[in-house]
Amino acid sequence: MKKLLRTLQTIDRRVLYALLLLSVTLPFFIPMKIPVKISQPTHKLYDTIESVPENSFIIFGSDWSAGTRGENGAQTEALMRHVMRHKLRFAILCFDPQAATLTQDIALKLQSQYGYKEGVNWTNWGYRVQEVLFFKAMANDIVKTVTADIHGTPIQTLPVMQGVTSATDIKLLVNVNPTNSYTNYIQFLQGPYHIPMVFAPTAVMAPEAFNYLDSGQISGMLNGLSGAIEYEQMLGVVGRATKDSNCLSFAHLLIIMLMILGNIAMLLERRAAKLETQLMGGAA
Amino acid sequence: MSALFKSVHGSAWWLHVAFVILFCVAVFAVLQLTPKQSRKYVIQLVTFIGGLFYALEFFLPIHAQVTAANAHGEGNFITPYMDVVSDWLTVIGAFTVGLGVINLSMVHTKRLAKGGNTAFNSAVFFVSAFAMMAIDILQKAHPNALNKNIYELLFSGALTTLDATMFSIIAFYIVSASYRAFRVRSTEATILLITAVVVMLGQIAVGQFITHKLPEVFHFESIREWILTLANTAAVRAIGFGLGIGSLAVALRIWLGLERGSYFDSQA
Repeated sequence: MKKLLRTLQTIDRRVLYALLLLSVTLPFFIPMKIPVKISQPTHKLYDTIESVPENSFIIFGSDWSAGTRGENGAQTEALMRHVMRHKLRFAILCFDPQAATLTQDIALKLQSQYGYKEGVNWTNWGYRVQEVLFFKAMANDIVKTVTADIHGTPIQTLPVMQGVTSATDIKLLVNVNPTNSYTNYIQFLQGPYHIPMVFAPTAVMAPEAFNYLDSGQISGMLNGLSGAIEYEQMLGVVGRATKDSNCLSFAHLLIIMLMILGNIAMLLERRAAKLETQLMGGAA
Repeated sequence: MSALFKSVHGSAWWLHVAFVILFCVAVFAVLQLTPKQSRKYVIQLVTFIGGLFYALEFFLPIHAQVTAANAHGEGNFITPYMDVVSDWLTVIGAFTVGLGVINLSMVHTKRLAKGGNTAFNSAVFFVSAFAMMAIDILQKAHPNALNKNIYELLFSGALTTLDATMFSIIAFYIVSASYRAFRVRSTEATILLITAVVVMLGQIAVGQFITHKLPEVFHFESIREWILTLANTAAVRAIGFGLGIGSLAVALRIWLGLERGSYFDSQA
């Protein structure tokens, strides 16, 4: 019994890794769909985008790389679907070298479903450096700061950029970001120009951002992959996030079960040791 | 403002570049001739002026400044110079990239020359870095199908895939670490464990299903929302205030040259 309890507390790592692999891959073959309850931050994000008038120009900030593609990629896809469905003009802006290409691929995949065309309804400003300096310059003169899109086309010739010259012409900020550089958006665009901002962080970064959600500086938020799942449910689409929802559930359950198992084994071992000590003390 | 820093083309551009290079060489030579004890003061002066520029631009009163691009523009007498100074800072920032590449190259060249176990990794660094650089330049200079395909293979096929793989490995470490670390050895550890379990269950469909028949206040997702929006927000806000005040203090010290144990002291 003692040996069993010890083993349950010190399961070989390889067994844990194998269990995780199974819990993440098997759900793809199980057709199970459980609806989720939509959280308040996700509701607020949806309402914020819905409140922006059609044909308004927004910034779609995308600062994630392939490492967080599981969460941020699904969030980008869900948000972009809503933006396109709501007929908003948007410019993709990236401060990560990989984000420009990864987000461009998502936009190209979705555009035909919503009758969108690059250059006419959306554009990609590509990878930019020095976020703070870029925002300070862009706020006053977008055309002079951005100059050209990812393909080298001068942005003033693009139909999507007509009538957009400075920060006052931007009606919404969307930021999908696994880091805390979203605070630069708040500091240099959302705050000074009172532009509503919505945010989609990874689940790890979300607890920090609740601060800004509570103060109203962020108008809505998607909390990691679970936020993207809720959002797709609100939109009524089965996208990437919904397909990954079972994997997320099973992986979480595995971690919880292992934690509980380890603790039960530890408590039982302690109790057994205590009883043994009492018995030996009584015998003496 | 635009007359002072207007764009030039053709031979005038080459003259400007040559002048700037000569000017930089002259400034560098003067700095090298400066006694080591005086360099500290030069660096402090440049740091102070750099910080003063942005501080003044922010704090001085503003008035309407209508431009062709921005009919609702506002600013003071420093604001028109912001674009030019931003361009300078972007160029200086770009130098740090070059500095990083040079430093990496020096470290790995030494390892290659030394041989041993790490020499192979250093060789891989040189091959992959310069291959990526070469193909990126090629596909921008000659965007034909072959160059674009090779670029796609290296960027999307190798770089982004390997990046995703590296982050995916973390999931395995998390499972192992949480299994071993979350043990109820104290009251605080017990609270941490229960909170972690409730938050995790509250954000997955299966967890929400477990409590869906109970009154809403006992749902995992409701408790999770309370933890994140009330308990967590209060704590993070307090930490945020502390970080903000600490950052302000450090920034002031650096701006005014009061920071000790930095470059200023070691070089003096």
